[in-house]
Amino acid sequence: MPWKQNYTVSDEKTLLDRELHWPDGARCGVQIVVDLSVASGPQGITAADLKSSRAEFGRAVGLDLVLDVLKRYELRATFAVPAVIAEIAPDRITHILERGHEIAANGLKHEDTSKLERQDEAERIGLATEILRRFTGRAPAGWFLLPRQKDRFAAGAISPHTVDLLLEAGYRYLGNGIADDIPHYWVSDFAARRAILTLPYYYHYDDQFFLLFPVAGTNLENPESLARNWRAELDAQYKRGRWFSMTLHPHLIGFANRLHVLDEFLAHMHSLPGLWNPTGAEIADHWAANYPQATHLKLEQSVWKDYPGSLS
Amino acid sequence: MTTALVREIAELKAVAQHHAARHEHIQGFHWPEGVRIAVNFTADFDAMLLRRLLNEPPMQLAKGEFGGRVGIWRLIELFDSHGVKATIFTPGRICELFPQALRAAVASGHEIADHMWEHRVPKEADLEEDHLLKCKAALTAIAGRPPVGTRSHHSAGLLRREGFIYTSEGEADHLPYYTRDANGENCLVNLPFHYGIDDAMYFSFAWLASGNEAQRLADPDKVFDIFWNAFWQQYRQGGYLNVCLHPFISGRALRTAMLDRLITRMKSLPGVWFPTCEEVARYCLGKFPPRTA
Repeated sequence: MPWKQNYTVSDEKTLLDRELHWPDGARCGVQIVVDLSVASGPQGITAADLKSSRAEFGRAVGLDLVLDVLKRYELRATFAVPAVIAEIAPDRITHILERGHEIAANGLKHEDTSKLERQDEAERIGLATEILRRFTGRAPAGWFLLPRQKDRFAAGAISPHTVDLLLEAGYRYLGNGIADDIPHYWVSDFAARRAILTLPYYYHYDDQFFLLFPVAGTNLENPESLARNWRAELDAQYKRGRWFSMTLHPHLIGFANRLHVLDEFLAHMHSLPGLWNPTGAEIADHWAANYPQATHLKLEQSVWKDYPGSLS
Repeated sequence: MTTALVREIAELKAVAQHHAARHEHIQGFHWPEGVRIAVNFTADFDAMLLRRLLNEPPMQLAKGEFGGRVGIWRLIELFDSHGVKATIFTPGRICELFPQALRAAVASGHEIADHMWEHRVPKEADLEEDHLLKCKAALTAIAGRPPVGTRSHHSAGLLRREGFIYTSEGEADHLPYYTRDANGENCLVNLPFHYGIDDAMYFSFAWLASGNEAQRLADPDKVFDIFWNAFWQQYRQGGYLNVCLHPFISGRALRTAMLDRLITRMKSLPGVWFPTCEEVARYCLGKFPPRTA
């Protein structure tokens, strides 16, 4: 067995702080991801989800308020959009694009495809890509597998086929991996060195885990804790000259009782000189130009041995 | 009825007494001249191995992989910047997955100790021995010397036979104490670690099947206060602190920054010693030897 398989998805060591260089001498990269899904669990967006008033808030008022805050601080975001949302609200997609943000895919209806047959997953990727192409005029560069509040695990679910299918469909990046805090390569085949650029995600910087999480009534409303996590990570990464990424949901963060926390945090971000704030596709460009797989994916020789009595 | 209840009480009493007899508290414990507290920073470097054992999905494993790709390097950098010598409890399989980081830790003078071959202790005696020997061999090859400590429930007799002198997995005292097997034999120093001073309790989502309502999403300020208070209460009484960290958790930039503040504040007080666990264990054995080995 190749030693990485079933244990690791990337090479042995991250890029050090001093190895990182950002465009125009910028000091630190910041990425904002806005998830337009209103799915509550692994089944993806359901009729019940769409009939909720907060879903409507998220598409209309909440989205407008989040867009306004981004504009106030001259920040651009990557929108992770389930294809069904583009069908439901195409004018919102146009509006987001007009403001200079990027539209990426977040599944067909943000369903968990990790247990599906390859062909089933492939069809869903194909259809979602086609729908988003129809409403944006181009195929999305990035594909997200973001988690939902009622998922068993908080990092998103990937199947053994996902990376290969995304590469075949022409995707340039996977929107959320968690094995690093900078862009890195997710390897699907070590022998063939087949990999996709993967952007970092961490649920401690995702609003949905701090705002009435996991369901209303559990008293887990912690916007201040969310803000402290954002602030501590951004300041630490800025000092290192590294990378910061956060994830927002307009149907959650858009409410006034929470939005002020976002506003104050982005004001702080805006005050830091030398930030580079790309969208997903721009990161992919920068990575391809400066940290290409051919020279920067360092897969060591296998030293793994199988033993009776041990997991292989 | 009453007779049965009386017998049950007697049995419970016997169990408690037998269990207590396995632990020998050190009377009149004190640190070397000039030392008021010893702080062991320990890192349980299992990365994705526990998630793999539990057969969790790939993204969960990737979360653990962060510890090997990124987190361990950051903790080494943090400890080195403060002159802190840490102890890294390392499953043997990690030597095959992240050898570069372990070699860097050894080069910086940190201790490499046992944390089970693949993060479990097999119930079958033969396989348990096999796993311990495999782990010992792997750690020896990386560190250039055999490990003398463990954080595991490996059998004390086996550990003693293989040259181990301490374990770090119980909380029968604030201070280091001695622990023995069920027959009252095979004494090991125990360097107590408390779950209340473990980063996983505050930051690790889905730790051992916890439900979503019970998630651990604390921010660093809250945990700074908890850790500092734990330190301060021990400092006041000349005690001991074992801080349990996981590279995939505390190696995140926001938490390494918090630990940097914590260590800086600890160092502002006189008499704070940051040894490896091995140094503490050898000090105990030399200065306060157990009644019987």
